[in-house]
Amino acid sequence: MAADLASVIQIWLAALFTIWVVSITFKDNVFFKFAEHTFVGAAAGHNIVYGVDNVLRYGWTPLTKGALLYVVAFILGIILYTRYHKKYFWLSRFPLAVMVGLGIGLSMRATVTAEFIAQIQSTAGLKILGVDAWTGFSNLLFIIIVLAVVYFFIFTFPSAHKGNLGIISKFARYAMMASFGYSFANALLSRFNMIFGRVDFLYSSWLPLPGAMIALPIVLILLAYAMVPAQKRPWPKPSKSS
Amino acid sequence: MSKQGKGLWRRLEEVPREILYLLIFLAIIVPTISPIGLAVPIGDEARAWYSTIDKLAAGSTVFVDFGYSGGGEPELGPMAVATYHHMLQKKLKVIAMSTSIEGPLLFDKAMAELGPEKYGSKYGVDYIHIGYIAGTETAMAAVGKDLRATTSTDYKQVSLDQYPIMQGIKDASSFQLLICFTTGGDQSEGWVRQWVTPYKTPYIANVLALMIPTMLPYRKAGQLLSLTAGAQAGEVELLVKVPGRGIKSADVISMTHLLMVAFVILGNIAYYGRKASGG
Amino acid sequence: MSLLVRRQLPILIVFVAALLVMIDYFVKIPGTGPAVTDLQNWGIILTAFALGFGAVNLFYLHTRHISRRTPGQWPFSIWLLVMIAVFAIVGVALKPTSKEYSWMYNASYFALSATVYASTGFFIASGVYRSLKVRNLEAAVLLLAGGATLLRNAPVLAANVPLLISLDSWLSAVPTTSAQRGIMIGASLGAIALGVRTMIGRETGFLGRLTEAERGK
Repeated sequence: MAADLASVIQIWLAALFTIWVVSITFKDNVFFKFAEHTFVGAAAGHNIVYGVDNVLRYGWTPLTKGALLYVVAFILGIILYTRYHKKYFWLSRFPLAVMVGLGIGLSMRATVTAEFIAQIQSTAGLKILGVDAWTGFSNLLFIIIVLAVVYFFIFTFPSAHKGNLGIISKFARYAMMASFGYSFANALLSRFNMIFGRVDFLYSSWLPLPGAMIALPIVLILLAYAMVPAQKRPWPKPSKSS
Repeated sequence: MSKQGKGLWRRLEEVPREILYLLIFLAIIVPTISPIGLAVPIGDEARAWYSTIDKLAAGSTVFVDFGYSGGGEPELGPMAVATYHHMLQKKLKVIAMSTSIEGPLLFDKAMAELGPEKYGSKYGVDYIHIGYIAGTETAMAAVGKDLRATTSTDYKQVSLDQYPIMQGIKDASSFQLLICFTTGGDQSEGWVRQWVTPYKTPYIANVLALMIPTMLPYRKAGQLLSLTAGAQAGEVELLVKVPGRGIKSADVISMTHLLMVAFVILGNIAYYGRKASGG
Repeated sequence: MSLLVRRQLPILIVFVAALLVMIDYFVKIPGTGPAVTDLQNWGIILTAFALGFGAVNLFYLHTRHISRRTPGQWPFSIWLLVMIAVFAIVGVALKPTSKEYSWMYNASYFALSATVYASTGFFIASGVYRSLKVRNLEAAVLLLAGGATLLRNAPVLAANVPLLISLDSWLSAVPTTSAQRGIMIGASLGAIALGVRTMIGRETGFLGRLTEAERGK
């Protein structure tokens, strides 16, 4: 019974937050602000929770099992927060240096292979001859576009994009426009999927609950009222200082 | 053209956004309330996704990254559930971690929707979650190099030694497949750098549809065996024969996309109409 | 001495850490393996410590709003700090995998996160009507590619017009992949250059605020 009631309250809260957030598409209002601040606070709190969880699981546990050198990691982690100090902010550079150095090492060591050599190998391996005409044409176009786009980004001085050389840049731009058009259409697909997810939740989980069908128009009316400018509303009156 | 004509084109071009939103709402709500049951074609990438998992022998170990956030759950959640249906049907061993801070909670959500008990699957024996590990690529590299040196507990802080599924699991070489569900480019690309490149782990990724273009070069170079968008969950649900939230969205996607095409056409007609009328 | 410690030592740490990690990958030198394993685990711990920065910044910002009674803001600032406290206390005390924390997450954070992402779709769709106009050849190319993909992404059309699937496959396999590959190669060269510059101390953004003496060096 208690579990059912908890589920019902959870669904009601989630539904109200959903409607209040969507209201920003029409106009800013006090319900949206409340939802927005709830979101930001919850996100920050959630980060603290998992920050503590990770420090305990990956730092404290090995330390208590004999990895005494992990004390250094704890000290460095605490020193990170000296960045807020007027005089001792420079101490935070040490833990940051460890993180930056680690990040650079990890990404650079594989970037050369994964994002440079492998991509060039894959491009160079495309067949233009010995395949049907359409495949050959597509592969040739592929190679030309890769070369043109790399040219566009590597050579940034103005003379590289003028005159006859400007044709390469122009071609690269058209290819990128096609790519961006494809990306844009996929962005719409993503967002509509997400919108459906929330609408489906409201329709399948919230509206069947007792009172929800009555609450929906009330919530919408209150939202519409909240969107009326403060000066035109009978209540609440805007404060004198605003 | 007359002033009235010019005004008409301008009004058409500057339709209030509330009307546009209302049309979008209707395109979403109507098929939700009254599903039409429109056809869903199964694409090549969805088939590649399915066959990559299907080829694995029973007892193979798969590593999954629950790397999506709450914002991406409506799109990626159905795909994660459909994939878990397939993996548990095939009696694969599934070890999950999260590079997203909401991952463990979304794992619980997915398991509640999936119901692993229907396949006789038990937590710790057939599937497990080893928790959120901060640091994205640092976490990936650490786990790939030596999983047991990185973490000794699961996401409920119970010792990994207690779970039969963790026997013999050392590092990236212990896994026959890596699957990533993520809303972040850092994660989907990070796995290529930290697992595929050094350990040659077979890798399939499910990302937001808008991330597909940035991942295509890896797919073409063979670093990814399959690249799917969360929006393709319906296709995988059809292949796995467990319809769910993915297939439900198909009607809505069809209607909204047709509406968008209409928007593009109308918007351009209004633009050129206004230009032609001297506006 | 002070400049050496404050500026040069962090740069040296970056260099050594990056070099150690790269050496471990390319050359198997005994001893570097366990050192890099520990370094990576330290990285996880440091990132975990850094997760608190968001809350600290919000604390500073919103306590200022509360103390100044910023009109129309300060009650929300109090609520925000309450939310941080409630989530943090419940999550740390009862663990994030507890039923109570899960309930709170699903009732608020999850619903809000999912809806915030989703609501941007309305703005994008409104932008489709207002801004996606064929003003020049580049816009026409963008629109043609985008339009073809939009049509393919509608399952009902893709199922009944197979040409759309072939067209979309070609668009994705040729212009999109090739352009993105070109961008990736350019970006990877930039990333390598930035990494090398940071290692040798030419890029000092990570040092944060520099004093007059440090800037003059």
